[in-house]
Amino acid sequence: MTIFLASFGFGLVTASVLAIAAIGFTLQFGVTDVLNLAYGAVMIAGAFLAYVINSLGVSVWIGLAVAVAACSAGSVLLNAGVYAPFQRRGTSPITMVIVSLGMTLIIEFGVQAIAGGTSVSYKMTQGPSVRAGGLVLSTVQLVVIGLSVLVMLGTHVLLRYTRLGKAMRATAANKSLARNCGIRTGRVITATWAITGALCGLAGVVFAMDAGSFDATATDLFLVLILAAVFLGGPGQAYGAMLGAVVIGLATEISAAYITPDYKYVIAFVALLVMLGVRPTGLLGARA
Amino acid sequence: MNSYYIINLLIYAAVDAMACLGLNQQFGVAGVTNFGFIIFQAAGGYAAAILALPDQSANGGFQSYIGGWNLPFPVPLIGAAVVGGLLALPFTFLVGRRLRGDFAAVGMLVTAVLLNLLATNYRPALNGDAGLSLIPAPGGQQFSVQSSGYQWAFTAGALAACALVYLFVRRITESPYGRSLRAMRDNDLVADSLGKNLLSLRTAMLVTGGAIAGLSGGILVSYISTWSPAAWGYAETVVLFAAVIIGGAGNHLGAILGALLVPVGFEEVTRYIPTSNNLPPNLIPSLEWVAIGLLIVVFLWVRPQGILPERKRVIKTAGQTPSGPAGADVLVIPPPARAAPASPVPSAAAVPSAAPERPPGPEIVLEAIDVTREFGGVRAVAGVSFGVRRGTMTGLIGPNGAGKSTLLAMLAGTLPVSSGHIRYQGQDVTGLAAYRRARLGLVRTFQLASEFKRLTVLENLLSAVPDNRGDSFRGALAGRRYWRADEAAAIARAQVLLDRFGLEGNANSYAGDLSGGQRRLVEIMRALMAQPRVLLLDEPMAGVHPNLARRIGNELVALCAEGLTVLMVEHELAIMDEFCDPVVAMAEGVVLAEGSMAELRSRTEVVEAYLVG
Amino acid sequence: MSAEDAFRGATLRAEGVTAGYGADPVIRGITVRAEPGEVVSLVGANGSGKSTLLKSLVGVIRVSAGTVMVGDADVTNRPPEDVARAGVGYVPQVDDVFAPLTVRENLEMGGYLLRPKQVRDRIGQVTAVFPRLGSMLARPAGKLSGGERKMLAMGRVLMLEPAVFLLDEPTANLAPAIARTLLEEHVRRLAQGGAAVLIVEQRARAVLAISDRTYVLAGGEVRMAGTPAELAASPAFVESFLGGTVAH
Repeated sequence: MTIFLASFGFGLVTASVLAIAAIGFTLQFGVTDVLNLAYGAVMIAGAFLAYVINSLGVSVWIGLAVAVAACSAGSVLLNAGVYAPFQRRGTSPITMVIVSLGMTLIIEFGVQAIAGGTSVSYKMTQGPSVRAGGLVLSTVQLVVIGLSVLVMLGTHVLLRYTRLGKAMRATAANKSLARNCGIRTGRVITATWAITGALCGLAGVVFAMDAGSFDATATDLFLVLILAAVFLGGPGQAYGAMLGAVVIGLATEISAAYITPDYKYVIAFVALLVMLGVRPTGLLGARA
Repeated sequence: MNSYYIINLLIYAAVDAMACLGLNQQFGVAGVTNFGFIIFQAAGGYAAAILALPDQSANGGFQSYIGGWNLPFPVPLIGAAVVGGLLALPFTFLVGRRLRGDFAAVGMLVTAVLLNLLATNYRPALNGDAGLSLIPAPGGQQFSVQSSGYQWAFTAGALAACALVYLFVRRITESPYGRSLRAMRDNDLVADSLGKNLLSLRTAMLVTGGAIAGLSGGILVSYISTWSPAAWGYAETVVLFAAVIIGGAGNHLGAILGALLVPVGFEEVTRYIPTSNNLPPNLIPSLEWVAIGLLIVVFLWVRPQGILPERKRVIKTAGQTPSGPAGADVLVIPPPARAAPASPVPSAAAVPSAAPERPPGPEIVLEAIDVTREFGGVRAVAGVSFGVRRGTMTGLIGPNGAGKSTLLAMLAGTLPVSSGHIRYQGQDVTGLAAYRRARLGLVRTFQLASEFKRLTVLENLLSAVPDNRGDSFRGALAGRRYWRADEAAAIARAQVLLDRFGLEGNANSYAGDLSGGQRRLVEIMRALMAQPRVLLLDEPMAGVHPNLARRIGNELVALCAEGLTVLMVEHELAIMDEFCDPVVAMAEGVVLAEGSMAELRSRTEVVEAYLVG
Repeated sequence: MSAEDAFRGATLRAEGVTAGYGADPVIRGITVRAEPGEVVSLVGANGSGKSTLLKSLVGVIRVSAGTVMVGDADVTNRPPEDVARAGVGYVPQVDDVFAPLTVRENLEMGGYLLRPKQVRDRIGQVTAVFPRLGSMLARPAGKLSGGERKMLAMGRVLMLEPAVFLLDEPTANLAPAIARTLLEEHVRRLAQGGAAVLIVEQRARAVLAISDRTYVLAGGEVRMAGTPAELAASPAFVESFLGGTVAH
């Protein structure tokens, strides 16, 4: 039982990081129709920014706040400066993926060029352990889970109850009609990238906290998990991303405990390929 | 210059060029975007390694791997190509289906990442993270591998292999088969409706590219005698894509140029950057990656066609098309064999030009019998029955929502019926797929623009010919001599059509550069190239200048006199006046009346249908 | 609608509008106008350019020549969100609702430019006009029937009380009885409220019955214009309707 509970605990933390990341990724796709494969690179850039601040002697939590702001601004620039111009030209979705891969190289290895190739970690305490229902988690892990719950709730409130959130959903559903309602879809899209960019930065820092030590290429494999969670729930569906994150996060860690830790990503891999082959709109998406 | 330096450079150049040629064949020519390309090179490398290596107990047994049969040259290299090709087969499910292009690409990318992970972690298979080493070089028993003679011979071999691959992909691409691949790249839906088997084409491309990549991996491994997961991360695929894009996608010389500029070029340039102990050791490699990313984005923005863009295939046409028997052969509609509905359509060259004997009174050649089509509870077509007679130009009119286009689609086979039957030449074709009906002579055109933009007008026409010997992988491989005659016959027929419709001056222009009206003509001519017996036209005159519309109408009438049957959906009712008889009027999914346009105008229910809507 | 709403309409004026996709314009030199309180219909055969004209008026399609005025404001080639702010409510022929959003959320989007309290009040007023919508506020728009979707689309534009209504074949795919109700009750009421209404329709007879003036489009140009009575009396009306573009 302890193995299960321990892996369940790890699974909750992974699911939490994954949820924050996947919600951001899926909303970027839903509102702008761009599969931003550079998402992982922006995450790690945020993680390193927090590290730099942390290494100056400042608390990593302040570093987190700075990373969130920086990734938010950076993502807005990424869309406005790169993706949107290509889209305005009528670039095909395949070429957009190649563009996003190019941006991945620029950002990820730009970080590596500055920060070097060695792994680093934050100077922080994990805090006292907390026992809850058989699980043993550190304070930081609890905070990460808590942040994730906050993000999920916040996303729910944003999309269901605020004017901006509904405008985001309207823009994603029917951009032309949204404009006919007077919605300035350009601003809605900018706001979307700002919010999801912030989520990306947050995800990057908590990912680094959970991973312990990280280098510039640490999110390469994590992006696979994000994609699996997004496609499981349905690309563009925020609630789908939440569901997918929980499923993939738990399945990954539990399978790692029972099968072998080396292949824990295989479950995500299989899930992603199956979804692409069988139901590309995801579990919560409309039947294509 | 150290000769070993040149040898190293040449071998890497050959290997990278080979890989880029394979990728260009898949991506540049056929439009198959394989973001897992590197795993095919990796598989080839591993295959060559485990075929050449002795049993894993050798050398002190410090490596663990499967295989180890110590096979001599050339078996490991052949094995590398074969494994690369076979590995492609499981992935056809991602590219063959109607999956959004970017989603499929993500699937392939993820596969590359995860296979690298598996290879790294599962040590028993391929020695995991450390990879394989001490791989014997080909002929290592007989020759002194370190000798200059051997090294140069190896280099010559690698370059020869690269040249062979270049000739191979050129032969495939510069053939009717290659034309079909490019058509699929430009507009796969239309290529499908013209009878191209998309799944088979894409599978062939995956396997071919995979085999070439595998061979390149085998050669590389035989040279450097090691192979580990670090050598084939997913980012290597991005490098190869960058090379093909920068060099020029769709141009095989461009692929070679790209290989020299990017993978090889970057290696060489960094050699000359002065190293300094003050700089962090990772800086230069990291900046290389940043530079590749920048090159990709900048090139896609500024010059997406690459340095050496895809060449236009200019086909030399004879100056004047001869009139007389050959000229009248454009559209030979042989009298149908009565009892054999599946008889093949003979090629133009074989059938004499005498006018086909007319059976007494035109018989019904295409028939809808109580045909219905429902969409979610709404009946777009409700129990329609009518027949089209041979040699007529029949019109199909009706207000918006009448069901005309839906009915046409069901007759053509691009939309299935909800109930009812379609009979063509006496045969029930209700369940037959569109491209099969096309092969039987029942051909349709589309309302929306459907020309292949990056093919010339002439190539557009040639792509519709169903029976060109060169339009298969084997046929392409057999070379020009094999399909020259079929191609020449098709070109001659195309020329006649171009002359008839007045586009002979644009034969070698890209179809995408033509005006809207001209593109319509291309579409109609292309349908005629398929040697149809019954031609279904979906609003052919929409947006066409009245003079051009009249010309099209006149040509079609002339073709009907030669035996063609036409069913035309149109709402330019004046065209119906001039050219179509009889005309069928539909509204709200049912047939209202049939007769000449003048008769229909006098029928109040027809007029009311238009006015009431 | 109170008395002060009576003259909130504005004149819609299109002069010499030429527009279309790519090099060959679909519509050429179109001049039409709709005054407050009028129902003006645009009829014509398929492909005559009716939809293209509406799309160019609201900024979905680029106008290459001519001007579009709403009252005193020049909205030529302004983006759709600005045209909406100028007081134009546009109901497209297809994709006319936000399918994943609920009926209430669709209406809220219609009232995007209003203050929250105004939105609540307006929803109440719109559901008074369309009681069926009032009973389905929580249902996703994608699950509505064809007639209900059209009602929602109309309700959505009503939220802003626009000065000008542009309706693109609102009765397409509707059963004749529902179509008649839509035209005779709801569309006519829009004009009675003071707005200018420009309606494109295939059902020529039905829409002529509620129109103050009618334009007949053919081949991308205005062929005829007049009151329904004048047009019905003219033999050329049926001719131009059924005649297409190729001149006799």
